[in-house]
Amino acid sequence: MGVFIEKPLPHGGRLVERVVRDPELGKKMAKMAKAVYDIKPTLHYETGVPVRNVYREIMSICYGFFSPVEGSMTKAELERVLKERRLLNEWVFPYPMLFDISEEDYASLGVELGDRVLLRLKGKPFAIIDVEEIYRIDPADVATRTFGTPEDNPEVVQQAFDKKHPGWVIYRSMNPVILAGKYTIINEPKLRPPFDRFWYPPRKAREEHVKRGWRTVINHQTRNVPHVGHEMLMKNAAYTGDIEPCHGIQVNAIIGVKRRGDYPDEAIVEGHEMVHLAGYIKPERHLVTICLWDMRYGNPIESLLHGIIRQNMGCTHHMFGRDHAAVGEYYDMYATQILWSKGIPSFGFPKSVNEVPYGLQIKAQNMAEFWYCPHCNEIAYSGCCNHTKEKQKFSGSFVRGMVAEGVFPPKVIFRPEVYKVIVKWWNKFEYPFCNEHYVQEKEEKLEIELPDMEI
Amino acid sequence: MAHFLVILLDDKRFSAIKGTEIEEKVSNLFGGALKAINVEVPEDAEKKIMETFTSARIDSRGAITDVPIAFTRAIFEEIAAQKSIGAEIFENVFSKIEEIKEAAAKESSCLPPPDIDISDIEELQKHPYQGE
Ligand SMILES: [Zn+2]
Repeated sequence: MGVFIEKPLPHGGRLVERVVRDPELGKKMAKMAKAVYDIKPTLHYETGVPVRNVYREIMSICYGFFSPVEGSMTKAELERVLKERRLLNEWVFPYPMLFDISEEDYASLGVELGDRVLLRLKGKPFAIIDVEEIYRIDPADVATRTFGTPEDNPEVVQQAFDKKHPGWVIYRSMNPVILAGKYTIINEPKLRPPFDRFWYPPRKAREEHVKRGWRTVINHQTRNVPHVGHEMLMKNAAYTGDIEPCHGIQVNAIIGVKRRGDYPDEAIVEGHEMVHLAGYIKPERHLVTICLWDMRYGNPIESLLHGIIRQNMGCTHHMFGRDHAAVGEYYDMYATQILWSKGIPSFGFPKSVNEVPYGLQIKAQNMAEFWYCPHCNEIAYSGCCNHTKEKQKFSGSFVRGMVAEGVFPPKVIFRPEVYKVIVKWWNKFEYPFCNEHYVQEKEEKLEIELPDMEI
Repeated sequence: MAHFLVILLDDKRFSAIKGTEIEEKVSNLFGGALKAINVEVPEDAEKKIMETFTSARIDSRGAITDVPIAFTRAIFEEIAAQKSIGAEIFENVFSKIEEIKEAAAKESSCLPPPDIDISDIEELQKHPYQGE
């Protein structure tokens, strides 16, 4: 065994890159389309609220975040993913990736196998899909099999998934007709500010790591404005590495459909950035990035996607906490850590994800929690601090309640500069969290702008 | 035992009651980084709170929680004005309950931001480390 850890190859061996950067070539490719389809958000099957936009999947696939996936899955691939969490080429992959349309849209599109469909976003040419297969799904069945059941996955699934679970709702709300085939972005988008300066697709992220001289990089998954507990988690987890602590700390924020009560995405990315602008982590050791994805909250299943995204970006390590990407009590709170330490056989992993063939190379750093201890007089690691009576946890609802009340949080909870980022966006949106207006406006504007393209 | 409302005090709020008798009732959270007063709620006031705000509940400590922010803010303002945490605080606040209810109804979509100076972070953001 060598002394140094090497940067892992992309998942599947090479990065998928399906973005045409030459507008003339993009136009030419778009002209060959037999039909035009305007991308629509996926609406909640009962309430009609937007729960997903497939454009984010097209972005993440074409820019290589989800390598080696290249498009919407065929029927056989969907089945394999649901049964074994593997693609037809054997590589591990957790979630169905599907381009779904309604029966009505299918009838009016009139596409057949081998046809190219031009996909427009906000009225402008965006991408194409080359249709290899057309089939139908039962969305409820796909939803349930995606996350597992207490009967089929007794190791970690504690409760049947239902409409209270936002990820289950995403699949349940999909249309029944699936167009399978590779995506290609033919009109290169620009990320809207402030997201543009956090846009590091895998190739660019890897180049940035090299430019900064980072051999080892640990990733932190986020959907939050970082409080001091998060900051301590990042800094302490980063003491792992090879012969030295990790050179880089990469934050990757999942940007997508919001739920009321989340912090706005703008505050999340700028809040993380403020950690280095205000000097709590040296900017040269800290990189804040984003990935477009409507979070499925699939705890162990989601952790696989997180591992794939960050391995593709060139990270060597990934921190996982308790209740990783979880909502409710559907999964065991340690499900992700179990998957990465010994595997979950019923999901297709008799051993750790790192030890199965065609698995992942990025290493998990499983962490317990941090709390404030007045006795230790520090943000203490639960594995160390034994003052169980005096400890004060960073309860999410307490922190949010304090923010909502407009009380300036103490330094041990929020860095003042980070809190002021929340206030900056609060001034703009007139609300510290995502309200209905924010959610609606976000789904109209999305995160990208497309140049005009006449076809 | 009577239930209580927890009123969080940041520096600004604390300075408004500093030097008064209330200061003795202030407790420390997070090693003194955050202060709070537990305001005892008379029984009739508790009844009114529970009737007026259906979201309100009593937690395991005996604290009344999940009341609208407009209500907590009004309670604090009254405390600061009266320099007291006695029962009359609730009477005064309930005398303008319609106004508070109106503000509370808007709370799911609109909350007044705190009036603080953020020019220091705007200055930092003028020189981002990332991006072109
Ligand atoms: Zn301690």
